[in-house]
Amino acid sequence: MDKLKFFDANCSVGRTGNPHLYDIPDAAGLKREMEAAGVEEALVYHVIARDADPRLGNSRLMHEIQDYPELHPVWAVFPHHTGEMPPPSKLLPEMKALGVRAVRMFPTKALQSFSLADWCAGELLSALEWGRVPLILDAEVIPWEEVRGLLATYPRLPIVIANCNYRQNRFLYPLFEKFTNLFVELSWFMGGGAVEDVVQRFGSRPLLFGTNMPRYTGTAAVGLLCYADIDRKDKEAIAGGNLRQILGKVWP
Amino acid sequence: MNPDFERVHAGLPLGDVEIIDVHAHMGPYYNMHIPARDPARMVRIMDLCGIAKTVLSPSLSWDTDLVFANDLMRLAVAAHPGRLYGACAVSGNFPELSAAELERCFADPAVKMIKVHPAVSKCRLDDKRMNGIYEFAARRKSCILAHTWLDNDPYGNMDLFAGVAKNHPDIAWIMGHSGGPYGSRHAAELAAEVPNVYLDLTLSMCPARQVEFFVKEIGSERVMFGTDHPFLDPRPQVGRVALADISADDKANIFGKNARRLISFE
Repeated sequence: MDKLKFFDANCSVGRTGNPHLYDIPDAAGLKREMEAAGVEEALVYHVIARDADPRLGNSRLMHEIQDYPELHPVWAVFPHHTGEMPPPSKLLPEMKALGVRAVRMFPTKALQSFSLADWCAGELLSALEWGRVPLILDAEVIPWEEVRGLLATYPRLPIVIANCNYRQNRFLYPLFEKFTNLFVELSWFMGGGAVEDVVQRFGSRPLLFGTNMPRYTGTAAVGLLCYADIDRKDKEAIAGGNLRQILGKVWP
Repeated sequence: MNPDFERVHAGLPLGDVEIIDVHAHMGPYYNMHIPARDPARMVRIMDLCGIAKTVLSPSLSWDTDLVFANDLMRLAVAAHPGRLYGACAVSGNFPELSAAELERCFADPAVKMIKVHPAVSKCRLDDKRMNGIYEFAARRKSCILAHTWLDNDPYGNMDLFAGVAKNHPDIAWIMGHSGGPYGSRHAAELAAEVPNVYLDLTLSMCPARQVEFFVKEIGSERVMFGTDHPFLDPRPQVGRVALADISADDKANIFGKNARRLISFE
């Protein structure tokens, strides 16, 4: 049987100030980790875009991955009202021109200090929904009530919850029941039998392969999916098919 | 190319190596839905990824009744002989009860280890009420698995763990989680200093190249395969050891030989 083609929804480049063990600051390092795990493609954002400045980090990202067609850019964005970010009318055409098909946001006071509420991010979120541009949010910082609000308000906006730990099912399952624009990335979603349980209840649609490389190893998520007790077609969907389908609908 | 790459990606158990999980649990836990928490489903998952044996302690023991919890553990173990083994859960908060539990549980030959969780029980590893547990472990040559997490746990941080291990050199001490994802360097330093400390790979988020780092720093003979099953699915841990850039001998040590050296399964 052919090897699964893995498309990772959760990778980064850029030096972090507090690496666990090894400094893996660049795309070449990420590629080495991907090859060790057997991951072919990845959505990638830049650490500077998260921890310093989105525009600067996004620019660094495009430079860093320019020689790696298997690495696909993810921009960090936030609302334009301070002038630090272009308005959606300019930002989205820029993204489209540069092949950016996914974004991350780091809201809340603890991160980039903005709100996802309509009065602050409504214009940007509406534009992203129009473009079907998936929005990746870290589970650790977004209250589930807020996620629920986004899913309901922007039903054609794919929302990917990244770094979603294994203790979240009691929040997640009622949302899976109601919203088909909710997706969860696998890097931390590793409860015993969780993949089989989600697939049995909701199908493979909500799950996206992800690793959080190079900060964390990609080999763990690969092991989880390769040994999963689900049909081959579901494995293929989770490994990369679902993400490719989402990205294929961007810029309708 | 890693020789195990194709088997892992084909979803096939490794086959030529014995895998023994020394850090697992069973049963429910208050703050999470665990889809495959019952022992039969745990064994099914073990089969899928080639784990031969699992030593488990009961999750209920930490916050509630350790006697009832150990009963559940023994039922699970009895239902799956040769696959599931027990770690008797005890706590310094109940020194007399723990002593009785150790005698009771270890009368069952399928109970092989001792598990303590200082952070949840809020009883320090060096609390004198723990001494009876340590005396039993030394007498029965049982290893002790203790939860450790970062440096700021006042009950079971890594330095405390290493200090207690140093004071009880007759016991093999497994440093649960090796102090967590940010603890790897300090864990390796302590293990290098205290020869009866063993590092446990159990983690939900696994730092890149941690397996290789531990092997380089202290050798594979003191790195233990653990999973937190069923809190965590064990298959990611199989994947990350199998795909680590270490020798076949190192993998064999981590996957099972080290457990065989510490625990008699006969």
